[in-house]
Amino acid sequence: MNGVGSPEAVSGRFNPWQCLFGLCSLLLQVFAEPADHLADKVYLLRGAGKRWAMLPAGNPDNPGGDTHPLQSRSHRLSLYKGHARVGISMNHQKGRVVGGDMVDGRGFPVGLDSVDVFEAVLASLMPKNDAIAALSLGCDVSAFVLCCRKDVDHHVRSAWLLALGGSSMTLRKLLAVLLLSGWGATLFGQELAPSRVEFFEARIRPVLAKNCFACHTETHLGGLRVDSREGLLRGGNSGPAIEPGNVAGSLLIRAVSHTMERLKMPLGGSLTAREIADLKTWVQEGAFWPETVVSPASVSATGKYVIRPEQKEFWSFQPIAKPPIPAVKEGRWIKTPIDSFIGAKLEEQGLKPAGPADKRTLIRRATFDLLGLPPTPAEVEAFLADDSPQAFARVIDRLLASPHYGERWGRYWLDLARYADDPESREDLILLDANAFRYRDWVIKAFNDDLPYDTFVKAQLAADLMPESERPKLLPALGFHALGRKEEDDRVDVTTQTFLALTVACAKCHDHKFDPVPTADFYSLQGVFKSSELQEYPLVSDEEVHAYKEITRQMKEKEEEIYKFVQVQKAVLADILLAQTSQYMMAAWDVMKGHNTSELAASGAGLDLRTLNRWIKYLRKNERDHTYLRAWDSMMARNGTRQEAQLLADGFQRAVLAVVLENKQIEERNYIKLGGSEGAKDRKVKDTTNIEFLEIEKRYLWRDMVDDPCKTNGCQCGLLFEGGIVFYGDKGDEHHGFFQLAEEDKIDRFLQGEWKRHLARLRAELAGLKKALPPRYPLLHGYRDSDHPQDVHIAIRGDENSPGEIAPRQFLQILSQGAPKPLTKGSGRLELAEAIASPENPLTARVMVNRIWQHHFGQGIVRTPSNFGQLGERPTHPLLLDYLARQFIENGWSLKAIHREIMLSATYQWSTSYIADNYERDPDNRLLWRANFTHRLDAEALRDAILSVAGSLDPTVGGPARQLTEGHRRRTLYSVISRGDLDRTLVLFDFPDPNGVSAQRTVTAGPLQQLYFLNGEFVMTQAKVLAERLQSESGNDDLAKIGRVYQLLYARPPAQAEIEIGLAFLAKSHSGWPQYLQALLASGEFGSVN
Amino acid sequence: MVGLAGLLGSAGAAQAREAASSLSIKAPHFPARAKHVIFLFLNGGLSQVDSFDPKPELDRLDGQPLPGATVRTERKTGNLMRSPFPFKKYGQSGIEVSEIFSKVGEMADDLCVVRSMHTEVPNHEPSLYMMTCGSNQPGRPSFGSWVTYGLGTENQNMPGFVVLCPGTPVVGPPLWNSTFLPAVYQGTYISNRETDPEKLINYIRNGRVSLVDQRAQLDLLAKLNQTHLERQRESDQQLEASIQSSEIAFRMQAEAPDVFDITKESEATRQRYGEGEFARACLMALRLVERGVRVVQIYFGNQQPWDTHTDIQVQGKLARQADAPIAALLQDLKSRGLLENTLVICGSEFGRTPVVETGAKFGIQNGRDHNHFGFTMWLAGGGVKGGMTYGATDDFGFKVAEDPVHVHDLHATILHLMGLDHEKLTYRYSGRDFRLTDVEGRVISNILT
Repeated sequence: MNGVGSPEAVSGRFNPWQCLFGLCSLLLQVFAEPADHLADKVYLLRGAGKRWAMLPAGNPDNPGGDTHPLQSRSHRLSLYKGHARVGISMNHQKGRVVGGDMVDGRGFPVGLDSVDVFEAVLASLMPKNDAIAALSLGCDVSAFVLCCRKDVDHHVRSAWLLALGGSSMTLRKLLAVLLLSGWGATLFGQELAPSRVEFFEARIRPVLAKNCFACHTETHLGGLRVDSREGLLRGGNSGPAIEPGNVAGSLLIRAVSHTMERLKMPLGGSLTAREIADLKTWVQEGAFWPETVVSPASVSATGKYVIRPEQKEFWSFQPIAKPPIPAVKEGRWIKTPIDSFIGAKLEEQGLKPAGPADKRTLIRRATFDLLGLPPTPAEVEAFLADDSPQAFARVIDRLLASPHYGERWGRYWLDLARYADDPESREDLILLDANAFRYRDWVIKAFNDDLPYDTFVKAQLAADLMPESERPKLLPALGFHALGRKEEDDRVDVTTQTFLALTVACAKCHDHKFDPVPTADFYSLQGVFKSSELQEYPLVSDEEVHAYKEITRQMKEKEEEIYKFVQVQKAVLADILLAQTSQYMMAAWDVMKGHNTSELAASGAGLDLRTLNRWIKYLRKNERDHTYLRAWDSMMARNGTRQEAQLLADGFQRAVLAVVLENKQIEERNYIKLGGSEGAKDRKVKDTTNIEFLEIEKRYLWRDMVDDPCKTNGCQCGLLFEGGIVFYGDKGDEHHGFFQLAEEDKIDRFLQGEWKRHLARLRAELAGLKKALPPRYPLLHGYRDSDHPQDVHIAIRGDENSPGEIAPRQFLQILSQGAPKPLTKGSGRLELAEAIASPENPLTARVMVNRIWQHHFGQGIVRTPSNFGQLGERPTHPLLLDYLARQFIENGWSLKAIHREIMLSATYQWSTSYIADNYERDPDNRLLWRANFTHRLDAEALRDAILSVAGSLDPTVGGPARQLTEGHRRRTLYSVISRGDLDRTLVLFDFPDPNGVSAQRTVTAGPLQQLYFLNGEFVMTQAKVLAERLQSESGNDDLAKIGRVYQLLYARPPAQAEIEIGLAFLAKSHSGWPQYLQALLASGEFGSVN
Repeated sequence: MVGLAGLLGSAGAAQAREAASSLSIKAPHFPARAKHVIFLFLNGGLSQVDSFDPKPELDRLDGQPLPGATVRTERKTGNLMRSPFPFKKYGQSGIEVSEIFSKVGEMADDLCVVRSMHTEVPNHEPSLYMMTCGSNQPGRPSFGSWVTYGLGTENQNMPGFVVLCPGTPVVGPPLWNSTFLPAVYQGTYISNRETDPEKLINYIRNGRVSLVDQRAQLDLLAKLNQTHLERQRESDQQLEASIQSSEIAFRMQAEAPDVFDITKESEATRQRYGEGEFARACLMALRLVERGVRVVQIYFGNQQPWDTHTDIQVQGKLARQADAPIAALLQDLKSRGLLENTLVICGSEFGRTPVVETGAKFGIQNGRDHNHFGFTMWLAGGGVKGGMTYGATDDFGFKVAEDPVHVHDLHATILHLMGLDHEKLTYRYSGRDFRLTDVEGRVISNILT
């Protein structure tokens, strides 16, 4: 969230009615009055200097950063009324008068502020009845200063700058432009001018918020706060920021005008001329600041960030209460304390509960909820047959004990952990990480084992620092961050969002706008992660690791040796072939003239045929990036003689050889400059050394003759450039892995004798090594504390190049008792993890029980599961949330206990029945008077359910990921989850993007999804498999088969009407059962749960 | 295909439902100038000073340092570098266009060249997000989603918002996502690498089941869903949307292969577009718009072909693949009477520096770095004045000097042309009203007819 979404920015718009009114009246004037008459009222300030535009500093038109026309570096300005010079001509430099004269010839005193002089002159000259005076600046009129008459408008003394286009503006146009720019209102009179509040909200507060708040609110850099009038008056280290009524004397104005050497604000940018003018107007008029409705976090006298008491009182930061179970009058339906909390609210709102769902619905709901799979008909029957009060509890226990439970709920966690099977990559080439799955499997197992959630949290942040005895079991958990982006910022973000539902990342560039999280807090946590580094933990003996690394090292050496050998041979061959340039060109000439075939020409002249063909192709091209062949091309065009051709070919050969030689010399000099081969390999050295290059045309010539096909154009080799004529190389050098040289384009063809044998030997040795290389040893991705853990600096506005104060490694201030204690053990990761997983932490338990609730009910008690801050939603049932959080902690952070507690409630077991009266009052079912629909199963449950009902699901738990192909019969979560190239079917069904934290699945429905059901190979195949299953189970009895399939798919028998629909279809349809079943699988009922 | 009309007709019930569907045509806020948008996205970063923003000063000061303060872009840059391509005045308007876009240049009198675009970040990802979704951060709906959300679409047999790219641009699907807007407004992405229209769209054809059988199957599905719906005692929008989608999917099978089959165009027409993925995409865009698809976005190529750090000549070569198809598309839109209500936009996520980039990656120093301070996009048709330029960069084409147009302003203008007030087209999500233009945006009224 950035500041632009803040309410003040939205509400502070110009009053459109006022503008419109002003606009109309001015337009009337402009077009009703004769232009000349109008011209009389307009003052033009004409510049005689060079083109000048009123644009912010750093703008190339205004490179010096002059923000006022009268402060431009050097200029001569004259004041005209209509066409007559009426006022002054003034030379000025950097805002000061350096000379000039009045109309009457009197000179100026030098050294005065140009603005003051101009305004004084203007005020004295302007006749009382003139409505406006406009000053145009620059001979091409690219900007205007507009002044309004003193007694008409209180803005008279200020210059308003508008950067407007057009080079030959007429007065009429000028006025029209001014009007269209929204200045109508302020032009005409007090009654139309926006009120001070509006002016402030529309023009001042947004400017301050956008440009200044990042550093001058809670961070109060330079001791200054600019979010209140008092703050500005109090000022900072350099004194008060504003002096109301005194524009020139206000530091703020001077800072934003960039008139001071040392203080130019905002850092690294500048305000627009109009914004500066607005600020001046505002200061001039007393710096009006409306009463604040919401006061920002306060700062103590010492200037430290202090969390205000009302911020501390925010609901989610309160200790978890132990609320009494509320009484419910009509409470016969109540089964558990959850129901009492829900019931109390329903009663309060006069809503009636929907009543229990039938048992079939219930078991289907529970099974999909806990396992992501449909119940089998046998399971349904058993539940129906069980009359005891514990029947449903038994179902829950059975489901919680299933290994598929961890698959379902572990996957939800993986959504948060942005789990993927490939490393972060933007390349086309996606490399699978063969070890990533170990983290995924650990998560599944943690859920299945009901690992206490506090341990679960700690392990994922700091397993490497936990007691030795637990480490082997917990180490895979480090994949939580180790598999993610290799950035500390991401780790801060994911940690705080996932465990705490706080958006701490917002505080990277500025103090959090809404929550009590100062910028320093972000960097306190960043320091913890910056003090840790990635570390692999091999799962085999040191010897095996060593053996693997040794062979990889040897392979690298061998590759390098081959590369060097080929480089040398390549260069030698190129020299030889280039020395024959003229011969090749003449042979090509013969062929192009039709005198010869290329085969005969090559063999006749002892030339290489492929090279000759390359020449022919090259010379036939009609476009070149260089001009070296211009003479040749025109000779060809006018059908020149052999002698002419020979002459030009010889000349071209000389040019080529000269260019190639020059390139070699340049490369040698560069090699020395870069510090030899080591330096040349170092990207940093390369990027920072001023190396030489061939002049561009020579470069193109060199490229066309010698260059590697892929080198020049990166990955677009095939598209744009096919390589130099004399280039022959080795596979893979300089390439990106996609491009393979054809056999004829390899150097080998040209090598003989010992040279050929040498290359063959090297290649054989490399192949031998490759063969000897064992598969990469299994390992865990994790991290460890760095050897020198340290605190980091605050990066001002998130820019690492502007370091602020040190942010000591510590926990978030709002979640600390008293002053946060420094994290001192190593990186501090374990201490951080402990602080997060502490029962005292008001957020951790609440956040997790809310996530569980959300997956059971479709919505959380807090409906923004990863934001428990100001911008998040408030809990619908705060006491219930606390009750659950407390239960969670008291039951040893057991997730399964929470599931049981939730699912045993009557609330969980509601039907989805519609009650009109309730619906009227609570259409979103916020108070849970009924069960929510699950409108469409998510990508995994949908596919898994299809496999399951068809009987083709392979239920194996865990193991390496594989592509989601037709033959893949395992649960969907075991397919490859790619950051760079997520499977299309997964995307189609809204699988979350693994590049970020995802707390809630979106549900979309579009025609492409339906095409998948209509025509997708997977669905059609499974429909067929299902048909076979039914055939084998129920034989040819259509009635029995329909009955069976309804049980399998919908956990219920078919209604008579449905049987008839089915039979009717089967009687007419050509391909019968598979088609019928495909429709059943595509139906809304199969794909949803209620 | 003869029996198809009859088959479609039999889905009367579904059609009746559609009348109230989320994709049916909705009234704009005010009379619209444009009904369709085609956004030609030259992904990677078109260099303005080599295409549509001539800078004589660059020729004069070639090889010299940029006067004034150094401007920081993403990478290390050096001195000013002239464009290797000559510019020429085109049309009555005399707009200067580089020779690499000479055919587009011939259409100058239809173009409104905005030379004062600017955005915030010189990195591809944020700027792609900004240009398509109006925010530097991910998570906002694509402009195409906003437009279809606001207006619905004319052809119920096709998705309202189609995205064509051979492969994917950097960032990928989030660029056409509807995020919090309802899913029906999501862009339908089609990789136009394939030449066979049957293979362009996943699952568009069923090799085993005839359309007649499928119609019967779909009617069966509709009946099943209907009974399911009736058992519930209230309307279930999601299920209805799904039924609606099934019908579109079914009809798409008939219409989409035809729309995407550019061989249905005459040989002469195809020749004017030329060969290549982009050429095919432009021709598809023409056919899509002709059939009432609301928004078509074409990405030039996989990843970011226009990202020419090393050698600016490459843009000449890329332009050769872009020039003819774009010109042909404009001509055909015009001759078929579509240009007046189709807004064509062309440009990139940002431009390139007028100074050379000095990172010695490929041993050649003839490229330009990213430049978000000032770049060019052009618009044509759909209520935009032709034959004009708007705004200006400085003498070197580095920064905006006159009439700055932020991406938000462009978006506000696009919506305005479509008859939508960008401040009123809102969607309440997460407790806040969201807009394509966030809290910014200003319609560039000077370029409207």
